[in-house]
Amino acid sequence: MKIYTGTGDKGKTSLFSGERVSKSDARIDAYGDLDELNSILGALAAHLVAEKELVSELQQIQSDLLRAGAWLATRPDSVAIESLEEISNEQIVFWEKAIDRLEKELPTLKGFILPGGHISSAWAHMARTVCRRCERKVVPLINKARKSEAAEQYQNLLVLLNRLSDYLFVLARYCNHLYGVSDKLWKT
Amino acid sequence: MAYQINFGKPEGLLNLETRATTYSATLTGRRWLSKKTFEITLSRPAGFKFTPGQRISLRFDENERDYSIVSAPGDSELTLCIRNVSGGKLSNFLSTADIGASLSMSGPFGYFTYKSSANPAVFVATGTGVAPFRSMARSGVSGYILLHGVRSAADLYYASLFQQSADAYMPCLSDARNSPDDFFQGKVTQFLAQHLKFKTYDFYLCGRGEMIRDVTFLIDERFPDSLVYTELFY
Repeated sequence: MKIYTGTGDKGKTSLFSGERVSKSDARIDAYGDLDELNSILGALAAHLVAEKELVSELQQIQSDLLRAGAWLATRPDSVAIESLEEISNEQIVFWEKAIDRLEKELPTLKGFILPGGHISSAWAHMARTVCRRCERKVVPLINKARKSEAAEQYQNLLVLLNRLSDYLFVLARYCNHLYGVSDKLWKT
Repeated sequence: MAYQINFGKPEGLLNLETRATTYSATLTGRRWLSKKTFEITLSRPAGFKFTPGQRISLRFDENERDYSIVSAPGDSELTLCIRNVSGGKLSNFLSTADIGASLSMSGPFGYFTYKSSANPAVFVATGTGVAPFRSMARSGVSGYILLHGVRSAADLYYASLFQQSADAYMPCLSDARNSPDDFFQGKVTQFLAQHLKFKTYDFYLCGRGEMIRDVTFLIDERFPDSLVYTELFY
């Protein structure tokens, strides 16, 4: 099967809601970063193959990010919004519980840490920082969607990214803990 | 460990079922529409729902292909429109399979569904790419412009339904010998470039990659604020 049509050869692409936009459009920029995050999570999972539950959790994030990307690829005033899967409060609660579960295993944090340590921890920090960049790209889009009927969904998307960033921070520490590496504290 | 997501959406054209399920379906009929194109009907598995414009995947042995559904959600059977491709294992099999044969199908897939809008809808199809538009028309979508690019007039299956429900139905024939004078001779892209008024439209493109690319570039140039939805056939 040919996966290419070449419709993007002149620098434009189509949103899920049908608009033809420049590939430098803010929406493309935002879901491009989600795509980057998703790929980094794949690299992280590749370092954690023995940890089946964590890999399964990372794959759940990857699915969530695809769902989130569809919202970013859809203008909030479009009727295409109706065909998107909801970003539910249930998802957010799920990640909060996952954060709590990992954190219980960890020593109390007494300061800033230097990102790094075990290779899986380093990748988790990479994922966290890209996730934060995604949030920064998504905020202006959400501000524009505030008056739309889909405002609540966009708000949930922002909360989801915030929770995932926190999850990835805790996961980075958990990876070091798992492989017997101490987090390196920042010494001022 | 995955959580359940609550799909709390209203009923209607946009209530897409996108969680594909695998079913067993029985081949209940076959009808040739032209020399190389035929329709098959399948028993509709219990619980199978779809939205006009969506497709299913058929599997036999190791061969699997996606086909857009041409029947409407209210029809009792599922109908597919298939081009018998030279060397195409599944289409060759389906063109001769015994009625009553059991097939594995999964779906529904895809988001190529009709979205109501203030802009006029322009459906552009090549060959069997007309399939999703037939399902939409049969489900009550009307008032659209349809361009159907085919080789000759003999390939204009479903013409009578489209003539009834379209505002304008324009066959575009690459070989116009022995065809009515009011059919366009040339590609769909040529028709769009020469005859479609400058306006904002919702374009729905279904067919081969070359057509989708050429029409998309034309839309970018001539109809810049239009919406474009595409379904690639290969």
